[in-house]
Amino acid sequence: MYLAPDGEEAEIATAASDFLVGAMPIDRLHVAGSADMSAELRALFGEMGWFALAVPEAMGGSGLSAVEHTLFFREAGRQCGPIDLLAQSLAANVAQDAGLRAALIAGEVAVGLLVADGTQFRLLGSSDAAWGLTVTEGQAALYPLASIAPAALPSLDPANSMRLLGALPEPAHQVTGSHISQLGQLGAAAMLVGMAECALDLIVEYAKVRETFGRKIGSWQAVRHPCADMAVRVEAARSQLWYAAAAMKEGRADAAAHLDAAKHLANQAALANADSNIQLHGGIGVTDEHHAHLLLKHALLLSRLFGGKRSLLTRLLHAELED
Amino acid sequence: MDLHFSEADHLFRARARAWLAANVPNEVRPAHGPESAQFDRDWQRKLFDHGWAGVAWPSEYGGLGLSGLQQVIWYEELARARAPHHINTMYIGLMHAGPTVIARGTEEQKAFHLPRILSGEAIWCQGFSEPNAGSDLASLKARGRIEGDHLVVNGSKMWTTDAQHADYQELLIRTGEDGLRHKGLTWVICDMKSPGIQIKPIRTMLGDEHVNMVFYDDVRIPLSNVVGELDQGWSTAMATLSFERGLGFIGDQLELYERVKRAIDLAGKTRLDDGRLALEDDGIAQRLSSIKADCMAIRAMTLADIAETDRTGMPGPKGSMMKLMVTTTHKALSEVAGEILGWSFLEFGGDRTAHPWTYDYLWSWVFSISGGTSEIQREITADRVLGLPKSR
Ligand SMILES: Cc1cc2nc3c(=O)[nH]c(=O)nc-3n(C[C@H](O)[C@H](O)[C@H](O)COP(=O)(O)OP(=O)(O)OC[C@H]3O[C@@H](n4cnc5c(N)ncnc54)[C@H](O)[C@@H]3O)c2cc1C
Repeated sequence: MYLAPDGEEAEIATAASDFLVGAMPIDRLHVAGSADMSAELRALFGEMGWFALAVPEAMGGSGLSAVEHTLFFREAGRQCGPIDLLAQSLAANVAQDAGLRAALIAGEVAVGLLVADGTQFRLLGSSDAAWGLTVTEGQAALYPLASIAPAALPSLDPANSMRLLGALPEPAHQVTGSHISQLGQLGAAAMLVGMAECALDLIVEYAKVRETFGRKIGSWQAVRHPCADMAVRVEAARSQLWYAAAAMKEGRADAAAHLDAAKHLANQAALANADSNIQLHGGIGVTDEHHAHLLLKHALLLSRLFGGKRSLLTRLLHAELED
Repeated sequence: MDLHFSEADHLFRARARAWLAANVPNEVRPAHGPESAQFDRDWQRKLFDHGWAGVAWPSEYGGLGLSGLQQVIWYEELARARAPHHINTMYIGLMHAGPTVIARGTEEQKAFHLPRILSGEAIWCQGFSEPNAGSDLASLKARGRIEGDHLVVNGSKMWTTDAQHADYQELLIRTGEDGLRHKGLTWVICDMKSPGIQIKPIRTMLGDEHVNMVFYDDVRIPLSNVVGELDQGWSTAMATLSFERGLGFIGDQLELYERVKRAIDLAGKTRLDDGRLALEDDGIAQRLSSIKADCMAIRAMTLADIAETDRTGMPGPKGSMMKLMVTTTHKALSEVAGEILGWSFLEFGGDRTAHPWTYDYLWSWVFSISGGTSEIQREITADRVLGLPKSR
């Protein structure tokens, strides 16, 4: 029993953090048009093998587990990484054709995430996405987007563009089972935990330097106490995330329930911490140039993906757990 | 990262489960009076006779010396078996005074007191807080002056849980100069039958009288009862702090999950005033499920923390966050139970057995105030976990 990154896991987390801070820092989102990943950036991720983490070795991937997948996406969350990253790594597990799979892993073709909205679909991801991925509880499918021109929509989330599709073409690749949706849920939960951590780090850093009435704001209890609550949310969501990742890796029967709990806690932690982070920064917290609003807006998007509140809680209510 | 329990851990769980299934008493613990304390003594004696006493104590002092992980298993099985609650009159002896004597006591003190605590013969209480010293414990004023080989104690303590049942008290008094705060305190074992002690019950909002004022009028305590050094009582009191932070609340942490399951069962068979089952109400179902997720996280936090401590041998600073999470979740669960139960939630006249949910709801505030208030836990988290500038 051990519930924290250990040994090689910790090394992968550090490598992911170093890479993401260099290649995709959160600061990028203050530049207009930054929602889309450039082809070069995507290829750089591919070159480093980040899209291949959870792809089995027999399919040309690294054959690592749900745990490494989680560690990478938590670091991606800390930089407000776009949903493209997750769509791309899941698609690499869905593609049935070795050539396409290799291109996905290498980051040579782009994938966006398709989310059903009534009879229409929302496409989240870069505008050069050649493929769209749908993931439901029991099925994942890849759709070629070449012949479709989705309508561009404004997007609240600066980390992702959003477009609308009326109907989907025939899927080109499909897999059944819950593996992909579980990886997706874990990745989204991990990103949200990373974002909740990022919000906490930002305010703790600021509270140590900003002064009012001749004191650091971090010495005012009206600031300290909400910071402590943010820390509790992080601790709870992160612990449950580790538990869910390990449960999935070990193929435990209750993994789905632990994933649902992890996603729910991550949703709550990211949203509430983003909220407190803005408030405790004062005026600077509502400026466009600050990171604070990026975390809130990205959390609003991610908290709706791979299990929003309603569906998660409905499933979790009667779920049985193992010792 | 892994969730493996060892073969030994599985065997331990099976053994604990089987023993508890056969030995948990059917009778309900009396709510008040000497018979409640006798019930606790009997259960502790039974645990002791069958080799289950002192799960956290080192084996050289008669305990089981269990790893943190096996303690988790033990408390999970206690909760599952609905065994007598671990917070009873034995709690201070087993979880606080005993570990302090183990850490700082003399050989004589250990030889006399430890076996009596383990076997349920001796009940202990904690006399730290005073009418004007709670959160700010270091401002305490009860005095001990040295007369020959005795301390003579005068002053008063407040909130002393179970003082009326206790044989001994861990008593924190001022022996040094006034105004020196942490310096000049002494931790001493007080025999509760000593002349000059007067106990006055305080009735609480739960309708019971478990906490007390304790008055000391020239109470003579042999100097040989001092644990640790004279005037070094703060250090003695802190000796168990890391223990409390690590494992002191583990029972409460793990019990919550059993309670949320019971609440879901309750909602599945209780009708609201509009005739629907409570579980058919979206609001209630969602809140229960969300609390279930919180309880799962509490278990994950417990396991994460304990696995780390088992590895490093040193508990981390996370206990305060744990207490915040546990007390908040406890209250949220009690509030939903109130909604599920409708009017019957309000039929409470102090009978814990007949109305456990109402009792537990009222207990929420005891939980978030005693043992360090939530505000103090936030202060500790801000200081020790986040490294924010001090507020005082
Ligand atoms: C049912 C019960 C059983 C108890 N059992 C025992 C026992 O057996 N033995 C024992 O020794 N003690 C016991 N206690 C005492 C308990 O530890 C104290 O009540 C607790 O530490 C709070 O102290 P206080 O009541 O003096 O409140 P105060 O310290 O007066 O606090 C009043 C309010 O101010 C807040 N506050 C205080 N300081 C700060 C600060 N620095 N920053 C922000 N907010 C602050 C508190 O959170 C609280 O809300 C028990 C208490 C209760 C209610």
